[in-house]
Amino acid sequence: MMHLNRRQFLRNLGVSAAALPFLAGLPSLTGAPLPQRRQRLIIMFSPNGTLPDEFWPEGKDETLNLKSILEPLTPFKDRTLMLKGVFNKVRGDGDNHMRGMSCLLTGSELMPGNIMGGGGNPAGWAGSISIDQEIKKFLQSKPETKTRFGSVEFGVAVPNRADPWTRMSYLGANQPVAPIDDPYRMFEKLYGQMKDKDSLVSILDDVNADLKRVSARLSARDKLMLEQHMTLVRSLEQELKTPHDAHLVHKMPPLDPGIELVNDNTPQLSRMQIDLLVNSLSNDMTRVATLQYMRSVGQAQMRWLGVEEGHHSLSHEPDTNKDAHDKLQKINRWFCGELAYLAKRLSETPEPAGEGSMLDHTLIIWTNELGKGNSHTLDNIPLVFVGGAPGFKMGRGLALDKVAHNRLWMTVAHAMGHTELKTFGKADMCEGGVLNLS
Amino acid sequence: MNAMFEKSRRVLLVLTGVQIFSSAACAEGKPAANHPGAVIYQKECASCHGKKGEGVAGKHDEPLIGRRNVPALSKYIAKTMPEDKEGTIVGKDADDVAAYIFDAFYSPAAQLRNSPVREDLSRLTVEQYQNSVADLIGRFQGGFDRPFGKTHGLKGRYSGRFPVLVGPILKPRGDAERAERNKKEKTSYEQTDKGISFHWGAESPDPLRLRPDDFTTRWEGSIFAPETGMYEFIVKTENGIRLFVNNPREPLIDAWVTPGPNVREEKKSIFLLGGRAYPISLEHLKFQEKSASVELHWKPPHGRQELIPEAMLEPQGRATTMVVKTQFPADDRSDGYERGTTISKEWDQATTGAAVEVMLYVEANLDSFSGSKSGAKDRAEKLKAFAKRFVEATFRRPLDEEQQRVFVDQHFEKARTPDIAVKRVVLLALNSPRFLYPELSNGEKTDDFAAASQLALTLWDSIPDAQLARDAASGKLKTRDQIAAASRRMVADPRAKAKLRGFFQHWLELERADNSQKDPKAFPGFDETMFADLRESLWRFLEETVWSDTSDYRQLITVDYLWLNDRLGKYYGKDVKGSEFQRVSFGPGERVGIITHPYLLASHSYSRSTSPVHRGVFLSRNVVGLSLKNPSVAASFDNQKFDPSLTMREKVAQLTKTGACAVCHSTINPFGFSLEHYDAVGRWQTMDNKKPVNTVAEFDTDDGRTVKLTGPKDIADYTVGSPMAHRAFVRQLFFHVVKQNPLTFGERTLDDLREQFEKNGYNIQKLLGDIATVAAMHALTTSPQKVAENSPASR
Repeated sequence: MMHLNRRQFLRNLGVSAAALPFLAGLPSLTGAPLPQRRQRLIIMFSPNGTLPDEFWPEGKDETLNLKSILEPLTPFKDRTLMLKGVFNKVRGDGDNHMRGMSCLLTGSELMPGNIMGGGGNPAGWAGSISIDQEIKKFLQSKPETKTRFGSVEFGVAVPNRADPWTRMSYLGANQPVAPIDDPYRMFEKLYGQMKDKDSLVSILDDVNADLKRVSARLSARDKLMLEQHMTLVRSLEQELKTPHDAHLVHKMPPLDPGIELVNDNTPQLSRMQIDLLVNSLSNDMTRVATLQYMRSVGQAQMRWLGVEEGHHSLSHEPDTNKDAHDKLQKINRWFCGELAYLAKRLSETPEPAGEGSMLDHTLIIWTNELGKGNSHTLDNIPLVFVGGAPGFKMGRGLALDKVAHNRLWMTVAHAMGHTELKTFGKADMCEGGVLNLS
Repeated sequence: MNAMFEKSRRVLLVLTGVQIFSSAACAEGKPAANHPGAVIYQKECASCHGKKGEGVAGKHDEPLIGRRNVPALSKYIAKTMPEDKEGTIVGKDADDVAAYIFDAFYSPAAQLRNSPVREDLSRLTVEQYQNSVADLIGRFQGGFDRPFGKTHGLKGRYSGRFPVLVGPILKPRGDAERAERNKKEKTSYEQTDKGISFHWGAESPDPLRLRPDDFTTRWEGSIFAPETGMYEFIVKTENGIRLFVNNPREPLIDAWVTPGPNVREEKKSIFLLGGRAYPISLEHLKFQEKSASVELHWKPPHGRQELIPEAMLEPQGRATTMVVKTQFPADDRSDGYERGTTISKEWDQATTGAAVEVMLYVEANLDSFSGSKSGAKDRAEKLKAFAKRFVEATFRRPLDEEQQRVFVDQHFEKARTPDIAVKRVVLLALNSPRFLYPELSNGEKTDDFAAASQLALTLWDSIPDAQLARDAASGKLKTRDQIAAASRRMVADPRAKAKLRGFFQHWLELERADNSQKDPKAFPGFDETMFADLRESLWRFLEETVWSDTSDYRQLITVDYLWLNDRLGKYYGKDVKGSEFQRVSFGPGERVGIITHPYLLASHSYSRSTSPVHRGVFLSRNVVGLSLKNPSVAASFDNQKFDPSLTMREKVAQLTKTGACAVCHSTINPFGFSLEHYDAVGRWQTMDNKKPVNTVAEFDTDDGRTVKLTGPKDIADYTVGSPMAHRAFVRQLFFHVVKQNPLTFGERTLDDLREQFEKNGYNIQKLLGDIATVAAMHALTTSPQKVAENSPASR
């Protein structure tokens, strides 16, 4: 059912490979390549907890043996780090799903509010900025790390509703950032300025012919104005005919046409989003991205894996339910496959401004709002790191001792160059400071 | 001393001038070179004014043209010329020079003879572009311009659960029972609310109909935007809300999830075009919070924050209006009103960007616009029909065969799909000079469509609406009577009201107040809110006067009342109860219409003191209609340079008494001096700098008389009795609405309109209709492109 003609799609969208920068917006479309090292961060989220026995490496030393869920990462084993023992210790209003999701990247309590969960008090949005936005703010504040977007929030199959279960990224208290889960809208955001150039190019000759026709009878003075107009139209045409690819390090990614935003198309939509994500990073439109699969309490029906039941319902089943266990293993393994695809795409792309591949300069973090689905625990939240960043020694499985996740986000911020960050989220959970992961 | 306010005093006294044309005198031949006045002129005057009165660079570089008559000129020359040798050309010599220059180049007739005026080719102004697009898209979304405001308020639909009136609440057993009971208990009711300001506390909006713990309310209807600009919407609530303005799909404010128990302010701004109504809805959710309340406020452009008044709301919804978001470069305003006589790269980019924006909008709404579904058998046919209608609306006339081929058919032949063809048609039509330069769409045609197009531009800054297009198509815009009837209908439309609002903004220089502030030490309590209240007071007065049945221009100049609320009343010494504005009369001669409206007095003042010069220039030029030249020397008013014991009048008199300044200030100052009873915020004062205020002054009229002024009442009396002043009003309104020189519509255009104005009891609405009729009749009889051919050497 896949394998639709990608060129066909581009044509339908009105973009040809030679499509052109639109109007004057181009110089801002990509940052000029800078000589210094670029460090990037991608935070990938999947919901409803994991299966600890199929996830965490066994053994006491730092050896990383990949359990069944993590098998897709085998090619990147030496560039993978797993971190057990990180706890989301934030309490307060809201149920664990809500806090798991909306405190995951913020490390502070939810605001009081009018959203009632499956337990606890009603709650509202997160009470402070999330780590991706904090790092973005830092990078955007300096000319050498400033990019067009600063951060881009990707979603896959995120339902169209705004509440603490669907948002993990926050600009600050009460300011959720909505992920874009429609690849076509994302394409529009990233490359929209170029989209309608073909239509425009096709009519400019007609516009000029029309200008010529109507100006034929005008006085010399009025003609002057229309001649000026014709000159402007011609110069627009010239601008439009300059290949945009001269400015982009990487071409606009081809997108498959007409994939409806429905549950069963999730695998295609996921790959489309990952392609766009890699492209936006390679063109240095952003150095921070989030990739959010579904939502906390999400009920994705992964029929493409032969799973008919909703993901959240399955995650509530007791450990003894073998069928549910198998299905959850498949589901989580599928997420890991997407992670592996992302890592693969990055590893195949040479670093535009330096040595090695883009994966060498990108830290991907795959995480989850719960440690385990049926217990709703916020302890041992799943954390897998792939790629590289200063201060992160990869190829290991580490067990930490009940460390608050605030400290982990500080560590990530420092790896991204934001070393001024002394606390993050709730200050008293930052005691002990940055983790030593080198 | 507050340095900031000191600095703001150093405002230039110098204001730019407007060249004024007129056709008061009949054209006569050029005077002979041996005219006795010519001999004196060439000897004594030409070195500064040029041989033909064209001016001399570095000396007096403005051309010697104006509107004084011969006796007035003679008097003026005798008094002020030549500079530094005043008094050497007097008596018959002055009469001769005056007579000579009047006929040679000074008089309007001479000007017209020396350089014939013709219509400028004009593109759409920014406002015209925005309005045209709104009405163009509106053609395909019925009802968006339905008349506003038969009834007021918003329709509210309250939903929740039945109250438990008697008996104990039985605990449901299990989820299924709870769900079943919830379903049974659901209820809702509707009512019209005047505005949104509810404080229910822990109670239900209606305890007999709704349980208090959780309920939702959805208010919907339309909201009217009186002027173009940014509107800020503010919702105050402790609950969840969503606000939709002019877009039923994307909320302007989404605050459904609450951040805690406290009342908060949610704010967002949106750009709206004036004279139009937009769909609005507000959803409110109370879910188990301790209390519920909601208030809906706005802050209109230049206004203050207030609960949205009932009169601006209507319980019926309507279709969205397309408001172009693309930013345009500002239009040329060097003549005092926006004109589309220049183009630039930025403008070309903006029009192209806006065309893409419209194209995307059409693409997103194509099914409903064309009445067809994607993939339907008749898709191509329906889209082509839509494309044709779209281009016809854009060009304001039907297409001929050639145009049908160029603008529609060829795209359906070339493009791979009819959907792509439509996109190209839209882009081409909006980038075509036939859209951007409305008169070019007419070619050489002088028909009903040309008249309709001109009417819509003059009265609405837009394209014809469906009714006007139908009138044109059925040949009902052929005679003056038919056109006058159409313009009467159009003058009553809110779009014409918005246009007239724009005129008042220019005529009364309302944007001045935007940069105006008062020294809080000198005028405690006079803050931005006061300015906003005064602005509202002025608008109430203007709109009430103009849109009354008599619509009497003289009322604008003469009435003895102000619209005041309690706050303003307190400041201006009147006892007013309540925050509602009401008419308050003042003693004889104390207030006369716009001449003494505090908003205008305050905005033509410095931060701490009055400015007789700013007031004088404004009144003499805009209201009394005297001719003023640009100042030849720039002078600044520096308060510290004067003897501190002087009054403002004495300071200004001292500053402007010398040669070059005295010429114009003999006209300007008297008007300013006669308003010295009003301080820098427009309050009555009797003393200035510990000396009694002196308001007695005299000025020379353009027809050679001397008029004595003792206060604003004398200015008002002179203005309402002066045909020159009426003519100046007609001229300024003409320039604003038609954006062309009235002379190009005939030498007597302004005089005919003024006479008609007088006959109609100075009815402004009728004047507006008459101006539109003149412009449309011109389009019906004269093709500008033909004029161009007949006089290729013009200019």
